[in-house]
Amino acid sequence: MAPPRTYRAEALTLKTAPFGEADLLVTLFAREEGKLRAVAKGARRPTGKLVGHLEPLTFTRLSLNRGRNLDVVSQAQTLDNFTPLKSNLTALSKGLYVAELVDGFGSEASPNEPLLRLALDTLAALGRAPEDDLPLLYFQLHLLAVSGLLPELHCCVECRRPLEPGRHRYSAAGGGVFCPDCAAAPAVNGAPDGAGYSSGYGTGTGIGTRPLSLRALKVLRLLASRRRPADLPDLTLDEPLALELKAILTATVQYWLDREIRSNAFLNHLSRTGGGGAVSRSE
Amino acid sequence: MTLEHLPSAAPSLARLIQELNKLPGIGPKSAQRLAYYIIRLPDGEAQDLADAINAVKQSIIFCRECQNLTDANPCSVCANAQRNREQICVVEDPLDVLALERTHCYRGLYHVLHGVISPLNGIGPDQIKLKELFPRLSDGAVKEVVIATNPTLEGEATAMYISRHLAGSNVKVTHLARGLPVGGSLEYSDELTLSRAFQGRQEV
Repeated sequence: MAPPRTYRAEALTLKTAPFGEADLLVTLFAREEGKLRAVAKGARRPTGKLVGHLEPLTFTRLSLNRGRNLDVVSQAQTLDNFTPLKSNLTALSKGLYVAELVDGFGSEASPNEPLLRLALDTLAALGRAPEDDLPLLYFQLHLLAVSGLLPELHCCVECRRPLEPGRHRYSAAGGGVFCPDCAAAPAVNGAPDGAGYSSGYGTGTGIGTRPLSLRALKVLRLLASRRRPADLPDLTLDEPLALELKAILTATVQYWLDREIRSNAFLNHLSRTGGGGAVSRSE
Repeated sequence: MTLEHLPSAAPSLARLIQELNKLPGIGPKSAQRLAYYIIRLPDGEAQDLADAINAVKQSIIFCRECQNLTDANPCSVCANAQRNREQICVVEDPLDVLALERTHCYRGLYHVLHGVISPLNGIGPDQIKLKELFPRLSDGAVKEVVIATNPTLEGEATAMYISRHLAGSNVKVTHLARGLPVGGSLEYSDELTLSRAFQGRQEV
């Protein structure tokens, strides 16, 4: 039997693009459909009824009509607009980073409810604490987890022995943490840089690695153990630790995504400049 | 569309169709229709069209003040001594200047960004004409920056970026009111639009 011509979906809008004269092409991540692209007819007209409900980073209940190539949005009702997130530039730029990664890791016609839940929880957490580093680090790590790519954080990925305190190294391509013994073993095939990692010294697998501090390993384990961003402890990361964790997780996500994360440039720009810099006066 | 796809057309006609096909919103069929329309035009009119395209490419430049497209430098708005030099209205696109000028309710200057910050498309502050805005505010003559970017997520991000950049300066930063469009419907409005319309309510 043919699927019904009209269906309903609850979806997070990931991005929009102009389509034709007044239409909008919307990329959504839906609870039951996974990633899907649909057209909102007339949405770019000033009196269009749909556009406000289909802004990026809006969780919406939709009615869609199946089309030959693209489905058509017939109705939309906002469920969560994430207003606090959209009212803060830092939170908004992190939210767009989340949307880009959901777009990159999500697949069409492949539902992934945990990924949708993770994205919605993270957007809410970012709205509550825009400057906090933990929600985005949590998102990156759990994005890998719901995609089946969580790095090994408890055993050495080479010798499988439980990790003891020591000078560990980390490799995205290697799938997690190397114990000091395995990290120090001579490289078999040289030690090429992997995913932006320095290859200071080789591993037995010949995979580029980077140092991983014990503090960073503990935070990664803590993040992995929490089920929702709301469960995160009240933990303040000092700058070197935050930078180390960001570098590790961003490089890991980028390694698996296998393409540049565009929104990362603006995120880095904001963290470098704070987006601020009052106009200088020649008085 | 390439020339090989139009084997039966004369080479000059095929080239015209190919060039028209490059225009935004013009597909292969529309390109063919336009090309045949141009062929049927009287000689003078076809020449006028070609001259207009040539002239616009040769004479249009960015205004050194507001970055709007102009054939004089500075543009007619920036050169007009009657305009209020204490206000600068920041818009995304040259067409927005035309839209605002049609209202006859704004007499200040403009600054055209030629885009908005769009992190998902890799467009940051350095890819639009933002860095040309801040020097215009440094002599203290400008008292207010009116942000008139579109009420989209990218437009709001750009507005927040400008506002954050100017925090701590003596320049007042405002943005156009958000709310219900004329002819719109309350029932179909999203929560953000409605709440902003409510916040911006005015005494009747």
